[in-house]
Amino acid sequence: MGIKQLYQVLKDNCPDAVKEGDIKNQFGRKVAIDASMSIYSFLIAVRSDGQQLMSDTGETTSHLMGMFYRTLRIVDNGIKPLYVFDGAPPKLKSGELAKRFQRKTEAQEQHEEAKETGTAEDVEKFSRRTVRVTREHNHECQKLLKLMGVPFIIAPTEAEAQCAALARAGKVYAAASEDMDTLTFNAPVLLRHLTFSEQKKEPIQEISLDKVLEGLQLSYNEFIDLCILLGCDYVDPIKGMGPATAYRLIKEHRSLDSVVDSFNNGKKFNLPEDWPWADARDLFLSPDVLPADDPTIEAIAWNPPDTEGLVQFLVTEKGFSEDRVRAGAARLGKNLKSAQQSRLEGFFKPVERTKEEQERLKRKNEQKTQERKTKQKKEAKEKKEAKAKPRGTA
Amino acid sequence: MLEARLEQAELLKKVVDAIKDLVQDCNFDCNDSGVALQAMDNSHVALVSMMLKSEAFSPFRCDRNIALGINLSSLTKVLRCAQNNDILTVKAEDAPDVVNLMFESSDSDRLSEYDIKLMDIDQEHLGIPETEYAATVTMPSPEFQRICRDLSALSESVSIECTKEGVKFACNGDIGSGAVTLRSHSDVENPDQNIKIDLTEPVALTFSLKYLSNFCKASGLAKSVNICLSNEVPLLVEYGLAANSYLRFYLAPKIGDEE
Repeated sequence: MGIKQLYQVLKDNCPDAVKEGDIKNQFGRKVAIDASMSIYSFLIAVRSDGQQLMSDTGETTSHLMGMFYRTLRIVDNGIKPLYVFDGAPPKLKSGELAKRFQRKTEAQEQHEEAKETGTAEDVEKFSRRTVRVTREHNHECQKLLKLMGVPFIIAPTEAEAQCAALARAGKVYAAASEDMDTLTFNAPVLLRHLTFSEQKKEPIQEISLDKVLEGLQLSYNEFIDLCILLGCDYVDPIKGMGPATAYRLIKEHRSLDSVVDSFNNGKKFNLPEDWPWADARDLFLSPDVLPADDPTIEAIAWNPPDTEGLVQFLVTEKGFSEDRVRAGAARLGKNLKSAQQSRLEGFFKPVERTKEEQERLKRKNEQKTQERKTKQKKEAKEKKEAKAKPRGTA
Repeated sequence: MLEARLEQAELLKKVVDAIKDLVQDCNFDCNDSGVALQAMDNSHVALVSMMLKSEAFSPFRCDRNIALGINLSSLTKVLRCAQNNDILTVKAEDAPDVVNLMFESSDSDRLSEYDIKLMDIDQEHLGIPETEYAATVTMPSPEFQRICRDLSALSESVSIECTKEGVKFACNGDIGSGAVTLRSHSDVENPDQNIKIDLTEPVALTFSLKYLSNFCKASGLAKSVNICLSNEVPLLVEYGLAANSYLRFYLAPKIGDEE
């Protein structure tokens, strides 16, 4: 689930660090994609009439559909994707996972109930909540990627940590995930919304860790502490801790140690009984990942697609349209064959902004944030007033 | 306050026409030395760099540095309202919301005025190092345009090879291959037709024809074009304009796959 409201903190304090742009901007780059997260989102989003796509035999094919076409879109735009699958979850995550499991079970019950009594909308809503990525889904996606000639690796533990490590080692330009904790795992650049569908017209967010740290005026260690305080997957959240408070506390105390000390003295916040923040910090600092010189990573290569294999798997077994699969395979082959177009940034470096320009930009950003806040406040006030008015008197 | 008067609206019309397919929005940076523009295309593969020196205008006045963020398709719409030999005056305040364009007909008393809303464009500026190019080819701009057009029919990319013998544009596509070779040539009666090759060392590079064809839209701006190449650096295509002004295009080369 990432870091609670970290995006909000970034938007408020260093809007500079988040760049939104067209998928074309990523042209010619290699990107490590968090596969497990993507498959999950395909299962939720790739639907028709609220139902998951299925083959004749009733097997779900949403994940394959998503994987195939969204990867094609990425490759068409000159990006070389590398997928990273989750391995075993770290121990610290067991609490979070148990909670998720419970939520799923609840959703399952509600789904059953809705089927009996609820409206169609309810049924759809709860059916989305019951979605789980099974081992079978993962295997099928890996098989598909192999046929497509797109490389993938399986991380020892968390996929986003592995993506971050690959990007940090310079094996790829960026890590692509929706999870903000990819940044906490020290990814130099995080791409969000890369695997979204074309129709959504959602711009790709490019978040640079260096600019985040510069904008927040924190060191990397302090940034990790901030993320833990905001709430991550590995420790329970603190009641009443919002983005503004968390950021203020870290700025004030400069480390989680003294923040925790201050909690123990003053009684403003109640820490959960079992709050292993030091372990979480260790996990962010040295996650269990394959090192960049590991043979499996050295062996990463983009290969031509196996067209007949794709047809056999997708058309014969899963009932996809043969024409489309063949056309897709041809596109994959073409994009890999043509000589790679280089980017200008490899030759011309961006000019540093002058002090004066930086100042101006900062002022502008502050003004924008201010405007947004005033607007939010105004809206909240209006809402409140509208509520306060008794009905029928307007 | 900016006030710049161009004798012929044609110049700006052609410049904008040449770059509007590469760049959607960009800043026109105005200062006392003239109007400059630098922008990359969406894929960050090509870069446009334009400089209109103050001498190209008469008169030119710009008291403070102003960046005019303009959407080029809006600008095109407005420039369509001008005739080629209209007198064009560009005006803007010091911290402007709009830029004002005024067209005066040269032979009648018709005067038209348009305001274009400006936008806030946050753009990275790239530093382009001074490069001594290994090869500089000067040729008539229609000739270059023709080569790009002819070869585009066969392939997506062209290899440009410069040797003592001449310059060879070659391509290889699904239906076959093609090549055009040019040698140094000077035409005394018609100097526009000259082909000049300055070479310090042989070079061979591959480029996307789609982008080159796009650059050729500037052919109407100058009779001849300079193509500068060095191994492993972007190609420079330069169209010289009056009064030391220029329109330059840079294009990153295609490289063989390292895998």
